[in-house]
Amino acid sequence: MGLFNLILQGIISGVVTGCVYALVALSLVIVYKSTDVVNFAGGELVMIGAYIGLLLLMWLDWPYVFIFLITPVFTYALGLVFSRFALEKINRKKTSSNTVLVSFVIATIALSDMLKGIVRVIPFTEEVRRLPPLFSGPPIFLGDLVIQPQDIVIVVVASIVMLMLWLLFGYTLVGKALRATSQNERAASLIGIPVKSVKSAIWGLSATVAGIAGLLLAPKLLMTPDMGNMVMLAFAAAIIGGFSSLPGCVVGGILLGIVQNMVGIFISPQAIAVTPFFVIMLVLLIRPQGFFDKTLAYKKV
Amino acid sequence: MNMKMKLFKGLLMAFAGVFSVLSSAQTPGVTDKEIVIGLFAPLSGPLVSYGIDPLNAAKMIYEDVNSKGGINGRKIRLVIEDDKCTGNDLLGVAKKLITVDNVFILHGGSCTAAIAAAQEYIQREKVPFVMLNAAGDNAVFPPTRYMFGSFQGTQRVYGSALSEFAIKSLKAKRIAIIVHDDDYGKANLAAAKAVITRLGGEVVAEEKIPPNISDITAPVLNLRASKPDAILSGAYPAPAVLLAQKYGEFGMTNIPLLQSTQGMPTPSVYAKNVGNPDALKNLYHTWSFTDIAKEDVRERMLAMYKKSNPDREPGPFMVTGVPSALAVIDTLQRLGRDLTREKFVDAMEKLNLNSDLMTGPLQFSATRRDALRTVEVVKFDGKTQKVMPDYYTWNGKDGN
Repeated sequence: MGLFNLILQGIISGVVTGCVYALVALSLVIVYKSTDVVNFAGGELVMIGAYIGLLLLMWLDWPYVFIFLITPVFTYALGLVFSRFALEKINRKKTSSNTVLVSFVIATIALSDMLKGIVRVIPFTEEVRRLPPLFSGPPIFLGDLVIQPQDIVIVVVASIVMLMLWLLFGYTLVGKALRATSQNERAASLIGIPVKSVKSAIWGLSATVAGIAGLLLAPKLLMTPDMGNMVMLAFAAAIIGGFSSLPGCVVGGILLGIVQNMVGIFISPQAIAVTPFFVIMLVLLIRPQGFFDKTLAYKKV
Repeated sequence: MNMKMKLFKGLLMAFAGVFSVLSSAQTPGVTDKEIVIGLFAPLSGPLVSYGIDPLNAAKMIYEDVNSKGGINGRKIRLVIEDDKCTGNDLLGVAKKLITVDNVFILHGGSCTAAIAAAQEYIQREKVPFVMLNAAGDNAVFPPTRYMFGSFQGTQRVYGSALSEFAIKSLKAKRIAIIVHDDDYGKANLAAAKAVITRLGGEVVAEEKIPPNISDITAPVLNLRASKPDAILSGAYPAPAVLLAQKYGEFGMTNIPLLQSTQGMPTPSVYAKNVGNPDALKNLYHTWSFTDIAKEDVRERMLAMYKKSNPDREPGPFMVTGVPSALAVIDTLQRLGRDLTREKFVDAMEKLNLNSDLMTGPLQFSATRRDALRTVEVVKFDGKTQKVMPDYYTWNGKDGN
């Protein structure tokens, strides 16, 4: 295998995993943009999505199409319940807007530990598990290059989810309500947007995206209650995009997937694990606002 | 004169008896009727699967001995604790068992790193520590007086066995190795490289990966680019599955994949996780127990376990808790009733136990603390396991 093909194979594989990182990053950014909360349970929502898929497959032996329809319902409900029964209660008892943000973040950390704990007490989660391939079929060989049918499915599904999010936020009334709430809560409330419900919906939507990412990841990366640790990769992808840009997340995720593979090929596989942290530090040092940040800047004239 | 002599002998014997009772009474954890052993493993936390069944298996061996009258007139009493596989917890458990429960010996630990954290304390307290199913090299190399373990073989044993098998049986010349960048991986790699060099082979790639790696594409591409005749893996269960998946995806299945034991503790679960039958058609792994070839041994172990734990199906690591318990019992039997911790250590150093469960003898010496050095190689096609004809024994030098 020549060097060019080696690099090309690394890029192809990086794009596939990068698409999933992008989805998880999107789930984080959706919440952050709307509520200013950094969701540290984002990885565990991915994990929960994967385990719900596994349970449905084991108990009901449903085809993947149904799993992809049902799992998001569960994860949406989880996000909604967390928002309604934890965050709203915390919000009601707030003493200042600063302290309430800290409380929110701590609540997400608690949710993260709680979800891991719940999954660990389910007996068969003691072992490493994996979802069956999303699509079985012989690999496609292009000379030395190999493309898995499953990888094509992952890229397609991830792209569909991203496209739907773009359409939702850009072209629907619900999306406009979500955006309005994230931009100015009080003004949104004054024009009749049910802010509380919208915020809960945002958490539900974020959990839905994370759950789908879990279903896409589990056939590739194996399932353990600790698989949510991959959230660091999503943070890195989101930071590349400035933690506020949805397209930035997508580019950041794909870029990170490719960079990881290049680091593994040309530097050392040992360096793969530190790549996201290195990327986070690098972006924060060079361009703290990320490469896709479009926040309004005020200029004196 | 004769009468005086008899009286003198009687007094001498009475003194010896009293001395024996006193000295026995002074030995912590030993009474006239029982020997107290501190048994522990991870019974909660993320690594619980390494601990529950091995601990239950050791318990079942002790229960079996007790049901047959005990050892030299004494029954074994267990004090069971949860070490969570962390250094802090294991050290806390060891301190509690030694100072509060006054156990005779410690028998436990499923994670070498956690045990290593307690090693200094154990040496200071001079309490014999028999590792339950932890088998990492850094707990037994260099040897320390009170620590005994690696009843399933160390990484030196696995790396050595797979290299020898690749060169001698598979006629491989160019060998690529993938291991973790920790003490396990270093030991495996060092032994493998030493054997490959000694037998005239060539190491064409060395990939060191972190244990928590989530995407193994890059190292597998590097392995593929090195054009090896065989690939040796010292990966843990999750990365081992990822490796086999990528190996299958990249069409490398004509190259034999040789996996160390720790990567596939339950071959059926491994096969299910890999998911691609093609990736398993050229797969081999090391194994330290005879239960694959000997059905009677397997049935006996399962029956014993079910009798002791009627409500639990044995998990993947169950059998790994058995050999250390057998070694403890053998040592106690050889010691007789005169028990001290120092005598236990001396007797343990003379262990030479041949069990029909193990692929080789369990042995220690004054300079050796790793019990098993002989393993077998098994071909696994996803459904059936076939034991290869030869056993492979680490020579005690390669990779040291």
